[in-house]
Amino acid sequence: MTEPLLSVRDLTIDLPPGSDRPHAVEKVSFDLHENEILCLVGESGSGKSLTAAAVMGLLPQPSVKPSGGELIFEDRDLLKLSEDEWRQYRGKRFGMIFQEPMTALNPVMRVSDQILEVLEAHGEPGGPERVMELLEAVNLPDPERLKSAYPHHLSGGQRQRVMIAMALALRPTILIADEPTTALDVTTQAQILALIRQLQSERQMGVLFITHDFGVVAEIADRVAVMQHGRIVELGAKEQVLEAPMHDYTKRLIEAVPTLDPPERRPLDRAPTVLSVKGLGKTYRTQGGLFRPRRVVTAAKNVTLSIRKGETLGLVGESGSGKTTVGRCIIRLIDSDAGRIDFHGVDLNAFRGRALRPYRKRVQMIFQDPFASLNPRHKVGDIIAAGPIAFGTPKPEAVKRAQDLLGLVGLDPGVIDRYPHEFSGGQRQRIGIARALALQPELLVADEPVSALDVSVQAQVLDLLADIKRRLNLSMLFITHDLRVAAQVCDRVAVMYRGEIVEQGSTGELFRHPTHPYTRSLLDAIPGKHWRAKRA
Amino acid sequence: MKEFWQRYKRNKGAVVGLVALVLIIIVAVIAPFLFPKSPWEMSGAPFQRPFGEYPLGTDMLGRNILSGIVHGARVSLMVGIVSTFFAVTLGLAFGALAGYFGGIIDDALMRFTEFFQTIPSFVFAIVLVAIFRPSIVSIVAAIAVVSWPPVARLVRGEFLSLRRREFVQAAVVVGESHMKIILGQILPNALSPVIVMASLMIASAILLESALSFLGLGDPNMMSWGYMIGASRSVIRQAWWMSTFPGVAILITVLALNLVGEGLSDAMNPRLARKGRA
Repeated sequence: MTEPLLSVRDLTIDLPPGSDRPHAVEKVSFDLHENEILCLVGESGSGKSLTAAAVMGLLPQPSVKPSGGELIFEDRDLLKLSEDEWRQYRGKRFGMIFQEPMTALNPVMRVSDQILEVLEAHGEPGGPERVMELLEAVNLPDPERLKSAYPHHLSGGQRQRVMIAMALALRPTILIADEPTTALDVTTQAQILALIRQLQSERQMGVLFITHDFGVVAEIADRVAVMQHGRIVELGAKEQVLEAPMHDYTKRLIEAVPTLDPPERRPLDRAPTVLSVKGLGKTYRTQGGLFRPRRVVTAAKNVTLSIRKGETLGLVGESGSGKTTVGRCIIRLIDSDAGRIDFHGVDLNAFRGRALRPYRKRVQMIFQDPFASLNPRHKVGDIIAAGPIAFGTPKPEAVKRAQDLLGLVGLDPGVIDRYPHEFSGGQRQRIGIARALALQPELLVADEPVSALDVSVQAQVLDLLADIKRRLNLSMLFITHDLRVAAQVCDRVAVMYRGEIVEQGSTGELFRHPTHPYTRSLLDAIPGKHWRAKRA
Repeated sequence: MKEFWQRYKRNKGAVVGLVALVLIIIVAVIAPFLFPKSPWEMSGAPFQRPFGEYPLGTDMLGRNILSGIVHGARVSLMVGIVSTFFAVTLGLAFGALAGYFGGIIDDALMRFTEFFQTIPSFVFAIVLVAIFRPSIVSIVAAIAVVSWPPVARLVRGEFLSLRRREFVQAAVVVGESHMKIILGQILPNALSPVIVMASLMIASAILLESALSFLGLGDPNMMSWGYMIGASRSVIRQAWWMSTFPGVAILITVLALNLVGEGLSDAMNPRLARKGRA
């Protein structure tokens, strides 16, 4: 092999004093070669993003600074560069793509002007023609029209393409991509990954690709470095790391990735129906102003589904498909405009306000964001006991029950007097589950309950949910965008697309023989599907 | 609480302000023991210069200016605190209901609030005090009436954003009543900017009261700083000390309250602290 483009030697990055560990990154070494994609994989807090930031000279100094090691690029140690010298490298030699294309683009500037600005800032010739070339290179449709577009006119995937065009504007030798597809839908993600792959091989770039998702790794990597607690625990070719991991941590991480092969389920045909939704519709209307036309968005249209006792129905779809709207209509956080929501034969849509209270107890919800869903000023015990107290349980009894529930979800009952910020994301989600269970519901609506969690924590929370569901014989509506999770958790799956359910069926049947073209494209887009198919 | 104090301490000006404020409060509380005589009573020859027999001199009727300032602190602080208390209560109620329920209730309450905001507050306060006769009650009421709308706006904004947070939705799902959600879930999270605002409002209420007294609309039975300045303004060229010292008292008190407010703001919103995070 030739000389590496970039050689990271014993890189150590200090955290500010008082953090949970002294070094964010400790003695990390790797080489990035020409024409290869090196994936840095790890869970949150593993130091992968800080490693990338260090390579770009973008560490939030002085609170976080490199304290040792070398970054050798073209015979120079980048760590010794001054801020002015850095500017010669950043953008010009290293391109970078970020996770959130909306915040990385200037919202009040035309995208073509933003790309032009990159060129002009570095004195690159070409001007508007070069901008057009770049927009074409990243396969943006109708680049002529895009010239006058602002970031908010574009979809998430298009914005990420613009970001890539900006990163490539100066023909960098190295491209650093920090979770570039995490904020995107699965079908868009597949396209962006393909684009990065294509551009990388056309331009023979070295790509440092940061991700938490092993599916993405399987899709795009040549070599893989696995990070844990700021160290690289395993580094090797993709096939070797994914198929024959050496380190325990890598093994555990790969083990935690759910397979796409749905397990056999016992049929529930004879169980009574708990929830039956017929023709549910919800349309959002924004009020028109003097100079603004009214906007009408149909979030859900003619949605029909049913859940039997003890059954988990998965509602899958991409962002904007209306799956969350359906969940919130069922839990009656928002009022639907049409249809029936029959819960044990009683139409919940007929009730408003106080009349709903008896049903609140029997239908409960688990929220997506474990940080936003717990009141930061309430103690854990009060959060869990709030429901029973609202329904008239005396406080001592409710607190006693909260303690039992903490035990049930695998937390120490002694933590009842702590505040939510003292817990990790996974622990908070357990608290959220305990809160939902406190009222002894029959139906749980879980809105993306694990999508904010790391993959190993995700596996634990899913196990907990499955265990509780079985023990208490609960029914569940499981809303998710992650088909791998859906395959593992759900008895039946309903696929939503633009507010409508396009296909519905038992999980095994739907994954093996999808009939609707949209379902097929969703299944095709899952990153790393061949990898797991081989394993299974 | 300890952490809160740590963050507060980082703002040196706020600590100075707090010390000054505590001293002023102590002086106000023990005023009857420092100067048992009424500040309205003559105690010596008129027009005595300061730093002589009387540390801050006497006014044109021979009243002890230091005694007036010490007793005036009681009035100023009392007016500031009581009127702010009522203004904040009113603003919280309006803002919370408007922000939580939204829709028509929001529209109605906010139009009502704007009605108060369209009238310049000082002119409005003068009108109210003039109509209801100057007394301590009418002054406090007038100041409260003109200063609650900004609180209502602030609280409404906080409620509007907090209302959509998942923990509030969770409380709805769990079956808590509106009252309980407003008071138990949202209010504690909305309170820190209100507390900061309240500390600054006390300062502006003191200024308002002084301005009213300066115009002769003060309570005739209460010695206040504004009254002292207003009464001595005609002799300011012969006797500068009569208006200067009450003015300095106002300056120090208002400055102390502003510093404290800034410190509270830094301590309660650590992420917005201007000095940056460590």
